[in-house]
Amino acid sequence: MSGPKQHDVQFTVNGKTETVSVAPRTSLADALRESLGLTGTHIGCEHGVCGACTVLIEGKPMRSCLMFAVQAEGAAITTIEGIGEANAPHPLQRAFNECHGLHCGFCTPGMIVTLSAFLRENLKPTAADVREAISGNLCMCTGYQNIVKSALRAAELIEESKP
Amino acid sequence: MSVKTTVSDTGPWVGQPLPRREDARLTAGAGVFTDDIRMPGMLHAAFLRSPHAHARIARINADKARALPGVHAVITGMEVEQQTKPISTIIPFKTFLPNYCLAVDKARYAGEPVAAVAAVDRATAEDAAELIEVEYEPLPAVVDPWQAIENPPAHVFDELKTNVVWHDTFSYGEVDAAFANAAHVVSDRFTVQRYISTALETMGVIGRWESSGLTLWSADQRPGFATHALTTALQIPHSQIRLISPDIGGGFGNKRKATYMAIIALLARMADRPVKYLEDRQENLLGLVHASNQVMDLSMALDAEGKILGLKLRDVVDEGSNVINPTLHSMLKFTNMLNNYAIPAVSFEGYAVLTNKCHSGANRGIGKPFMCFVIERAIEMAAKKIGMDSIELRRKNFIPASAMPYEAPMGNVYDSGDFAATLDTALRTAGYDDLLQQQAEARRQGRYFGIGLATAVEPNSLNLSAYTLMTGRTDTSGVGEGALVRMEGDGSVRVSLGNTASGQGYETVVAQIVADELGIHPDQVTVAPGFDSAVNPWLHCSGSFANKFSGTDVGAIIEAARTIRAKALRIAAHLTGHKEDELTIRESAIWAHGANEPLLPLGKVAMTAYRDLLRLPEGEMPGLEARHFYVDPQSNLPARDPDDKRLRFQLTFSNSAHIAVTEVDPNTGAVKILRYIVAHDCGREINPMLVEGMVHGATTHGIGGALYEDLAYDENGQLLAASFMDYLKPTALDVPEFEVVALETPSPFTPLGAKGVGEGGSIPSLAAITNSVEDALKPLGITLTELPLTPNRIWEAMQKARARQGTC
Repeated sequence: MSGPKQHDVQFTVNGKTETVSVAPRTSLADALRESLGLTGTHIGCEHGVCGACTVLIEGKPMRSCLMFAVQAEGAAITTIEGIGEANAPHPLQRAFNECHGLHCGFCTPGMIVTLSAFLRENLKPTAADVREAISGNLCMCTGYQNIVKSALRAAELIEESKP
Repeated sequence: MSVKTTVSDTGPWVGQPLPRREDARLTAGAGVFTDDIRMPGMLHAAFLRSPHAHARIARINADKARALPGVHAVITGMEVEQQTKPISTIIPFKTFLPNYCLAVDKARYAGEPVAAVAAVDRATAEDAAELIEVEYEPLPAVVDPWQAIENPPAHVFDELKTNVVWHDTFSYGEVDAAFANAAHVVSDRFTVQRYISTALETMGVIGRWESSGLTLWSADQRPGFATHALTTALQIPHSQIRLISPDIGGGFGNKRKATYMAIIALLARMADRPVKYLEDRQENLLGLVHASNQVMDLSMALDAEGKILGLKLRDVVDEGSNVINPTLHSMLKFTNMLNNYAIPAVSFEGYAVLTNKCHSGANRGIGKPFMCFVIERAIEMAAKKIGMDSIELRRKNFIPASAMPYEAPMGNVYDSGDFAATLDTALRTAGYDDLLQQQAEARRQGRYFGIGLATAVEPNSLNLSAYTLMTGRTDTSGVGEGALVRMEGDGSVRVSLGNTASGQGYETVVAQIVADELGIHPDQVTVAPGFDSAVNPWLHCSGSFANKFSGTDVGAIIEAARTIRAKALRIAAHLTGHKEDELTIRESAIWAHGANEPLLPLGKVAMTAYRDLLRLPEGEMPGLEARHFYVDPQSNLPARDPDDKRLRFQLTFSNSAHIAVTEVDPNTGAVKILRYIVAHDCGREINPMLVEGMVHGATTHGIGGALYEDLAYDENGQLLAASFMDYLKPTALDVPEFEVVALETPSPFTPLGAKGVGEGGSIPSLAAITNSVEDALKPLGITLTELPLTPNRIWEAMQKARARQGTC
């Protein structure tokens, strides 16, 4: 291995403590994908515009392509792999299927991660609120309409699941 | 709106809005895209790309790169010229233009790969690429397509001795007479910029050499072309190239890249390790492919009542450095130039011109968005000139539903559709009369409020015999696809296709089709995601292009399924002592007609086919597997007479009417879309939920092309929009809530009556938005003939108009 020396970084990913050894220039997106094999975090532009690489840092959506892995030392990170489980999908994952909120699926992890944080703070969003919330995520397939529909449906599902 | 919202528990499955099978893995982040594949010992590649639009490469020194720790292989044009042949062309020309996978001797666009490195990781590979020293001798850049023809500062390919790679004329009907008899003639020049669909996943390749040959993993949409190109370039037998497409993160026609595959194959061979390459976004915008910028001069002849008598067209396509498939835009444009009108006479003079820009190529709708832009703008201009309502002018000229199937002068046969009904549906959905009142009120308030309409055909599938008419080539004809259907011993079914999905939902819709054919539930059908050339059935033309799924591919799927059905019934008849025609299959069982109970489960028949070999009907081959290669029966050969240039270029025709309601900011020129209405007819809908999703997505591509996206080059051939900061895509805030209504006129030419829908929205949207914006600016008397309608362009037009009117 050439280049600068490696640094050990420790953080929590989807509730599990992980230590990765990375060069200082390694982006968080690359560390998640290459060191931890969490390939659900997609890289669409590497300059912070498309939002495909969005992960939650301490519950807040961040672009993992614009962050160095070493900056995440000690942080609690959630990736798409930690949003739901195969047997218990997140309401957003169910709603995206029900409302056809995806075609190729490349932007979808970033959309769902972004919306998961949004729906925690916005229990009864309007379509306009959802459009604002995903305005930093590009989708080249859907024209956004069914993503908006999916988010509104997910809000309903979350509401319905409350005791 | 049009979507049927309930799914019934029983068939028929075709026509139901079945949620997609693909979604569980994709929403969980568990899709496997090219960049998600890892293998032991895999290296990562980076390319060094030319900073010059046009330059001779005098010398390359890669010693420092090779010496960098972690670097395993470096390749330059010199090795490429020694070790490979040029990439074979799809549409060849009389003068052979060598196109290697790396620049040899000369770089022909800014961003052309000049050298490539394989190293232990991407960062090291990029470091090494920066250490490669290239001595360039810059040459004048050919940028403007008109200049490239008339007064070229240089030749993109010296051996061609011109930049015009193709020039031809086509004439159908009595064009001169049409113009001699015309009461009105409208003429103008129309221009469309370069833009591109930018799938969110950039293009990538992994290559690995094994004892059996070369295996490639790539998001390629045209595996038949790619493998053929590689066998020529790498001089290895076709049977030793295996191409696997994993999940593809959007395609839109852009993802075909034999050059990347060849570079990676060479690096992997040199390093004797697997090598992965993935474009970054800048490389993707600089060098994957662009839809070409085009200029068309149109003259339209009309009689006194507004009947269109003929068209004269002169067209220039800026191909950039494209020598793989030039004329694609020209051909697909002029052969569809009637749009949905009964125009008896058309002449077309076309130029395909090489410039020092990224090569042009396939992009959603290829040429047809511009076709529709030109015709639908001309309709508005003609209506204004005659003093007739443009809606009335359209109605007067539509090919009537009663004339279907309708043979157009170019030889295309329009299968079905009621264009007037589609238009009326759009107008009704929009509440057109109310809109006119709203507009009148807005204008009283001094607001620029526009209503714009465009109608369009959406041609489906592409008869590759068309190449003969463009180049004289006679080794490619027709169009087809392959499908493999295999019922396993338990009665469940697997299907694989020659086509490659990139978001279309084939895993779901193919299961719906096969379930109906075989009398089973879609849950019993597994459609292979992706493509594997060693497993899937495929042809040279296989893949995702020209909206061919709903007609051509469905033909292959249905024929294969019916072969299985017939065989299962033969075996069942033999087992039960019935005659085949007394039996049917439904609910996964064999039934005698009219019986209340099934005779035996389908699984029993399937098990017999695989295991109980001596109890099969005499002469019946074991197994329940059918591989069908389908030739679209609508495709034909050109006439023997070389002067007869009629052909069925495209095979069926969906249609739509779009209405855009816009408002222009009087201070900034920014356009806001207030409402967007789509009425469309793609024949019988296999899955209405997916159909409507396609309409949203394709229309959004048109909105991007109309308002935001511009791959502009400066006078030195430098791309000015090589990131998403400069190349603006529509966001959720820019795109309206679409109001979509579907009509379903089944096609008599396709097995299910279904027609394509993937490209449709992208075709009329440029025209609908421009007609709307021009209508909004009517108080200023502005005519719009150039795209995109950026605030800057609109603001300048407003300033000029106000200066003319003395109001600023």
